Amino acid sequence: MTEEESWFWICSIQGLYRNKIKNLIQYYHSPKNVYSMSDSQIKKISLLTEKEKNSIIVSKHPGELKIKFDKLKEANIEFISCMSSKFPRKLAEIPDAPCCLYVKGKIPEEKPSVAIIGARNCSNYGKEIAIEYAKELAANGVQIISGLARGIDSYGHEGALTANGQTFAVLGCGVNICYPKENYPLYVNILKSGGVISEYPMNTQPRSMLFPERNRIISGLADIIIVVEARHRSGSLITSDLALEQGKDIFAVPGRITDSLSSGCNRLISQGAAIVNSPKEIMDELGVKYVQNKKLLKKCNNLLERKENMVYSCLDLQPKSLEEILSNVDLKNSEIMVTLVDLELKGLIKETSKNYYVRINIENHK
Amino acid sequence: MFSTVLSACITGIDSNLVCVEADVSNGMPMFEMVGYLSGEVKEAKERVRAAIRNSGISMPPKRITVNLSPADLRKAGSLFDLPIAAALLAALDIIDKENLKETLIVGELSLNGEIRPVKGVLPMAMAVDSYQCRRFVLPKANAKEAAVINGIEVIGVETLKEFIQFMKNQIQIDKEAINIEEIFFNYTNEFKIDFSEVNGQILAKRAIEIASAGLHNILLIGPPGSGKTMLAKRIPTILPPISIPESLEITKICSISGNLNQEFPLISNRPFRNPHHTITKTALIGGSAAIKPGEVSLSHRGVLFLDELPEFNRAVLESIRQPLEDRAVNISRATASYRFPSDFMLVAAMNPCACGYYPDLNKCHCSENQVQRYLNRISGPLLDRIDLCVELGQMKYEEMLPRNENESSKVIQERVIKAHKIQERRYQKSDIFFNSDLTGTQIAKYCKLSKEIQKYIETVFDKMDISARVYHRILKVARTIADLEGAENIEKIHISEAICFKTLDKKYWKR
Repeated sequence: MTEEESWFWICSIQGLYRNKIKNLIQYYHSPKNVYSMSDSQIKKISLLTEKEKNSIIVSKHPGELKIKFDKLKEANIEFISCMSSKFPRKLAEIPDAPCCLYVKGKIPEEKPSVAIIGARNCSNYGKEIAIEYAKELAANGVQIISGLARGIDSYGHEGALTANGQTFAVLGCGVNICYPKENYPLYVNILKSGGVISEYPMNTQPRSMLFPERNRIISGLADIIIVVEARHRSGSLITSDLALEQGKDIFAVPGRITDSLSSGCNRLISQGAAIVNSPKEIMDELGVKYVQNKKLLKKCNNLLERKENMVYSCLDLQPKSLEEILSNVDLKNSEIMVTLVDLELKGLIKETSKNYYVRINIENHK
Repeated sequence: MFSTVLSACITGIDSNLVCVEADVSNGMPMFEMVGYLSGEVKEAKERVRAAIRNSGISMPPKRITVNLSPADLRKAGSLFDLPIAAALLAALDIIDKENLKETLIVGELSLNGEIRPVKGVLPMAMAVDSYQCRRFVLPKANAKEAAVINGIEVIGVETLKEFIQFMKNQIQIDKEAINIEEIFFNYTNEFKIDFSEVNGQILAKRAIEIASAGLHNILLIGPPGSGKTMLAKRIPTILPPISIPESLEITKICSISGNLNQEFPLISNRPFRNPHHTITKTALIGGSAAIKPGEVSLSHRGVLFLDELPEFNRAVLESIRQPLEDRAVNISRATASYRFPSDFMLVAAMNPCACGYYPDLNKCHCSENQVQRYLNRISGPLLDRIDLCVELGQMKYEEMLPRNENESSKVIQERVIKAHKIQERRYQKSDIFFNSDLTGTQIAKYCKLSKEIQKYIETVFDKMDISARVYHRILKVARTIADLEGAENIEKIHISEAICFKTLDKKYWKR
C-alpha cells in the first residue's frame, strides 16, 4: 500500500471527519500506521468514539479499498492528499486545511489566482462586472476560482471561459455531482481547460452545512478575493471573513448605497477592503503585467448618431424602465422606441426583462 | 275539459316553444304533472294551487293533469307557473280559451297570486313572431325588456287576478311600448370613470390604445398598486360605442343570466367583466346543469379582465383558448350542445414575480427559479394569443397628485374609432373585422412591407431571435399602430413600437 492509498483509505472512511483524522495523524504520524494496527489495538484508541472505531475496522475489509479506488478511476477523479506534492501549497498553508482533495480535470497551478464570489441572486450590474473582470483577468493568465453557484459564481466562470482562460470550481458536494443542475453546460466547459475540486468523496450530496466549509477552499486557492455583490448578511461575507483569517487580500465592488445587493460590499470597503476600480489595479496587486486584450474589447461604437447617443447616454448597467427612458429623453416617444430597437440590434443594449433596458458593454460605460 | 297554452323556455341562448296542456276530469282529486320536468317545474303545482285559491277562485276537487310538450325537452326554470295556471283556468272554463290563442305566456307565481319576474325574456320576445303569436303576456317587471322588440304586443301583468280579469276582457291593459333609440342614446357612454383620472403610465396607456384600436388581447405586467386594474376598467370607455344590433346581442345574454336592469332594459355600454381568480371552468366558459352563459359570453363585445393571471387555475385558463380563437363557445352536454357567442377583448394583468417587485432587486428577493416558476404558470399557447404586453412601473408620489393635463377617454376614443373605421373599410371584402383577426396568409396580403422595411424586420428577426409567431404578432400590432396614425404603409416607427410591446418570450426573463 502506497502512502497516497493509505491517505485515500483514511479519508474515505464514513463518519470519520477532518479533525479526527488530523488528530490520528498527529499521534500516529501516518495513515499507514493506523491501517496496520490490529482490531484490538484500534479498539484501544481513546480519542475515537465507538462508532468511529467500528467504521475504521469495517473499512479495513480487504477488497473494499480497491473497489473504491477503481470507481474513482472510472469517474476520472484524481485523489490528492495533503502530503502529496501535487497538493496546492497555498491551500496547505491555511488554517484548517483539507486533508485531501478530489479533483476532476486539473488542479490550480502555482500562479496568480483570483476568486470571484458574490450573490446568487445578482443584479445585471453584478453580472456584467463579474463577467468583465473574469474575462480581463483570465486573458492575462490569472486563474479564476469560484463555486459554480448560481449568479456571480457562474458569471465569473463564464467570463474566464470566454477569454479561453483557466477557471476552477470548488464544490460543496462530490465532484461527480453538478450542483445546481442548470449549470451542467458550464460544468462541462470548466473541465475542458480547468478543473472541479472538492474535499468531499465522490457521490457526496450537496448539503447546506458543507457550503460554508468549501468557501475556505475557494479563498485558500486564491491570492485575491473579489466580492462582486453581497447583501447585508450573505455567504460571500463569510468567505471574505475566512479569507481575512487566511491573510488574503479582499477587493469589493462598490455599489450605490441604496442598492441592498451592494450593502455587503460597501460595508467590506468601510471595514478596509480594497475597492475594485479596474482590472489593472488587481493585476498590479498580483504583480502581473497587464496587457489590455484588444480582441476582447467589443467594438466601441463612437459613431452613434445624435438620437442614438441621447438614448444611449440615458442608460446604464442598472435596468431602466421604458417609461423612465420616455420621460428622461427629450424626443418623441416613437423616435425613442425606434432608437432603442436600433441600439438593441447593434448589440449595445438589451432588454433584461419586459420593457427594462440596460447597456451591455462595460467598456463603453467608461 | 282540455286546454292548451303557449309558453317558452330557454335552451342555451335561444328560446324554445313549449305547449302547456291541462286536462280536468272526474276521478280521484289529484294534481299530476308530466313532461320531463326539473325540480322547480314540478314544484309549480303547489304555487299554482295556492295562487289560484288566493286569487279568489276555488279549485274543484277533480283530477287534474298537466303536460308540457315537447316531452323530450328538459324544462327548467320558474317561468311555467303562469302558463300552467292559465291552462288550468281555461280547462275549468274560468277564462276564455279563444283569448289564449296566439299568446305566449311566461311568469312565476307567488302564493298570494303576485306575478314575479323571470329570466331570459328577450330571446323569447325575439322568437314570438316565429311561434305565430302576436301577444306576449309576461310579468310586469319584465315588460320593458320584451318591449325592445318591435311588432309584438307586450302585456305586463302584476297579479294573477289582473291576468284573469284581462283574459276575461273585464279590464284593458295597455301594451308596453318603449322608444329604443331614446333609451339607447340617453344612456350610452354614461361612464362614471374616465382615462383622465389615470396619471402617469404613458406607456401602458399607449399600449391600451393600440390594443383597443385593433382589438388585440393585452397583458399588463406590473408591481402591486401600479394601476393595472384601474387602467383595465377604463378600456370600455375608449372602445367605440356599441350599435343597437350589438346591444341586442349583449342584452340577450344578460337577459338569460338574469342580470338586467329592469329600468333600462337595453345594455348601452360595453360589458366589463372582472371574475375573481378562484373562478371555476364552468363559471368562466358556461355550462352547469341549467347551461348558463359563462364570463366569456357575458363579456361578449366587451372586455374580459383577468387580474392576477398566474393565480388562476391552469386548467381554467387553458379553457379560454378556444373561445379566444373561435369567438364563440360550444358547450356540449349529454342532453344537447349549445353555442354561446364570446367575442371579447382579453385584458390580463399579473405581477412580474411572486412578490411582485421583480426587476427592483432592493425589494424583490425572489430567486431566478422562483421568478421562472411564477411565469411558467401561464402556458405558452395562451401567451400566443396575446398580442401586446406592457410593463407598468411603480407609481411615484408626484404622479399620484390629481392633474388636468391627462387625455380624456373621449379624445382617445375618437382616435380608436378612426382606426376601427379604417379597418372596417380594409376588411370589407374579407371575413374578418379587426387587425387582431388576421391570419398568416392575410398578414401577407394586408401588411405589405416595402423592401427597406423587409430588410429591417429581417435583421430584427435574426438578431433578436424571435419566433415566427411573435413575428406575426409584431406585424399585426404594427398594422394597428399604422392605422392609428392613418398611415397607408407600415413604416419603421410602427414596427419598432410593436417590438417594444411584443409579448414576453420566456428567455427575456432570464437575467
